[in-house]
Amino acid sequence: MGGKTWRIGVLTAALSVGGCAGIGEAGGAAGTFAPVTTETLSVATVRVPEPGFWHGTPERPTGGFEYGIAAALAERFGLGDLEVIEVPFDRIVTGDFGGADLALADITVTPERAERISFSTPYLAAPPAILVRAGAEVADVATAKDLKWAVERGTTLEAALRDLVDPGEPPLVAATETEVVERVDDGHVDAALIDLPVALGYARQSDGRLAVTAQLPSDAVLAIAMPRGSANVEPVDSALRALSSQGEIAALARRWLDSDLEGGRVQQVRVLRTGS
Amino acid sequence: MTLKAPEGAPWEFLVVFAILLLGPAVMQRARIPGIIGLLIGGFAIGPHGLGWIAPGNTTVPELGQLGLLYLMFVAGVELDLRLLRLHRRSAATFGVLTFALPMAAGTGVGLALGWTGPAAILLGSLLASHTLIAYPAIRNAGLAGDPSVATAVGATVLTDTLALVVLAGVAGSVQGGGSPAEIALQIALGFAALLAWCLVVLPRVASFAFRSLGSERHVRYVVALTAFLTAATVAEVFGIEGIVGAFFAGLALNRLVPNEGALMDRIDFFGGAIFIPVFLVSVGLILDPSVMVQGDTLALAGLFILACLGGKALAAGLAGRLLGFRRPQVGLIFALTTPQAAATLAATVVGFQIGLFSSSVVNAVLVLILASVLASGLAASWASSRVSPPEHSGRPLGARVVVATARPDGVGPTIELALAVARPDGGIVQLVLVGSETDPPPGRALRQRLEQATHSAGVDGEPSVVVDRSLIHGAVHAGAASDATLVIIHGGGQSAEAIEMADGSITRGAAPVALVSESLPALRSSRARLDTGPAASALVAELARRAISREDRGSRPGGPSTDDEIVFASARSWSDAGMATRQANGAVVLIEA
Repeated sequence: MGGKTWRIGVLTAALSVGGCAGIGEAGGAAGTFAPVTTETLSVATVRVPEPGFWHGTPERPTGGFEYGIAAALAERFGLGDLEVIEVPFDRIVTGDFGGADLALADITVTPERAERISFSTPYLAAPPAILVRAGAEVADVATAKDLKWAVERGTTLEAALRDLVDPGEPPLVAATETEVVERVDDGHVDAALIDLPVALGYARQSDGRLAVTAQLPSDAVLAIAMPRGSANVEPVDSALRALSSQGEIAALARRWLDSDLEGGRVQQVRVLRTGS
Repeated sequence: MTLKAPEGAPWEFLVVFAILLLGPAVMQRARIPGIIGLLIGGFAIGPHGLGWIAPGNTTVPELGQLGLLYLMFVAGVELDLRLLRLHRRSAATFGVLTFALPMAAGTGVGLALGWTGPAAILLGSLLASHTLIAYPAIRNAGLAGDPSVATAVGATVLTDTLALVVLAGVAGSVQGGGSPAEIALQIALGFAALLAWCLVVLPRVASFAFRSLGSERHVRYVVALTAFLTAATVAEVFGIEGIVGAFFAGLALNRLVPNEGALMDRIDFFGGAIFIPVFLVSVGLILDPSVMVQGDTLALAGLFILACLGGKALAAGLAGRLLGFRRPQVGLIFALTTPQAAATLAATVVGFQIGLFSSSVVNAVLVLILASVLASGLAASWASSRVSPPEHSGRPLGARVVVATARPDGVGPTIELALAVARPDGGIVQLVLVGSETDPPPGRALRQRLEQATHSAGVDGEPSVVVDRSLIHGAVHAGAASDATLVIIHGGGQSAEAIEMADGSITRGAAPVALVSESLPALRSSRARLDTGPAASALVAELARRAISREDRGSRPGGPSTDDEIVFASARSWSDAGMATRQANGAVVLIEA
């Protein structure tokens, strides 16, 4: 190898190191998270407490599945503080996070919502599930059609109930999820359609009065929402994949939702085949 | 009438298979490698494209995961271990260089970018591996026997194994809980268990399964699938990535699945038609062209290309100096060891799945893959025209052994001999039943007896039937037609005599022919005696060496054999061979081409 070749080699190496420095500022191999407030991960959610998902108060959250994810993200990004901001669901899905970095609020990914906000990689499958009073059985779709149903207004569950079950009697459409659950609990309706992880949370806190009898086949998933086009999507995605591969998300689901996950899906609730 | 949008498993499979069909075809028309069509197709149907495969879909990613394991199994089973054995010194020297230099360059780039240690090391290891994409073209140019090519192919075993060991260590350290010492111990135990499973248990179980269950083609294929899935499971039990287990399973079955055999053909067929393309489509699902064309991603790709191609070129150049290769030979080495495909993509996907790499890194690696394949193609084209093919083709004795017989009774030991010759070269054995043109064609019962003997010996493939003037004519012609490296004729002594007496002229093929007596005893219970008479040759000594273990070999000139002795002799004419075969109870007489 001649002297000229060596000189070119040294020059190339020097340029490479210089180039590396410039790219390094843009982010690490897994991406670099840039918070709105220094040293703080701010998270928007609908309400605290939310059974199974957020426990405690907004000022002092103490546990829950989504709280656990938020805390793990903060730790992974090296952020010492976690701030929780309550924002109504209909504002979150239009991209208003109340100034928070991201929203962790049982948000199902839909193409319409994806036009206004950016979603992370999914962290939990959230198929529609049938919440009933303990002891009630929904053996098949024919049985389900004959039941009296409740569902929350303005959610993807309204369409799912119509498409997958098509009840014989018009469902009770309630303003809030809490009201839907109360109507099942007090016997006004036979069953409610609720996202599976949420339904498991309600069943867990009902002291055995409520149960999740089946889930419906669906690709619905929960994901973290961020402002449209946010550069934080990459680091959040990488962090969620790491938490998933390390079994941390499954451990949180076991602890707070009484659920065994496999591939992000709850395994212990049977699937009610609908033929679609 | 109520119509609804297509959804569910049939729709998902339909769009994936449409991509498998159309993606490569469209790209190849534009002279772009088909792999790009699969990746772009995956993007088109994925969450960043048309959204036909939703973000929460598990069907395609899980099928892609199976494809990833399949890809690494094929990478292991296709490697030519014979070349590593034959050229171990040069392969080891070059293997260390072509692993260490890109590894150091990649790790250096990662650290300079401010990445974490595990991410930087994983980047180094994925640049250090390579895939022998250029090998078929170089082999077709007649250069497979060139020492530089053999060195590069042999070194691939080392580089890919080392790269996967690094991957296992990095993934284990990132995912495992406990202290570094506990993690290191678990990975070490995992490798011990994996090696024991792959090198001790798996070949024996697979060999037994091939012998006892192997009469059905699909059973052999399922045995191979099960083998790599068990190895992947063993690896994952110990926290080692499943692709490491699948690759080791490929190495374990390497000799049992010859590259030119029927089973390898089926593995390649299903891999090429479904499993590996589905994996590539699943990679396409995470592709985001908007990320790929960003300045940072392209700058990353530029650095990866510089580190990879620079490291590989430096390794090839240094190997040329150390091992005495000429410049075009260095070009061949560079062409063979530069392409980044199977192992690189597999390690990148694992890095992505465990959260070490962002989608920007994955997109940059895809640009690197494209650039490395293009650079390799140019180098191969330049170097191939400047290196003369070796005069001797270099095909080993056991590459393709044809066993011909007219009477399958007692053919077992002869098949055993053929397998013993083929095994060290990773070669294949073909059985031919020869019928005489003056007699009725071989009946169904005769064919079934040979099929039974073939399968119980563990031979992969069905016997064929030919009709010719004599057993020897049929054997030599079948050998020539299938480009055999050795023809073994079971019970050939009497036919040789008969033909010589009949017309005085015997055909001669390009491959050496061994006449084996009909009463050949079983190899494992026999001793070998090498006839050191005037016609003795190195080739017959090699035949004896492969057939019988060292402690049971002896040599002396001429004389009859005892009951448990097999005489290995050479002959210059068919009549000498026929006579020698008839004189000894167990004789293998070689007539060289």
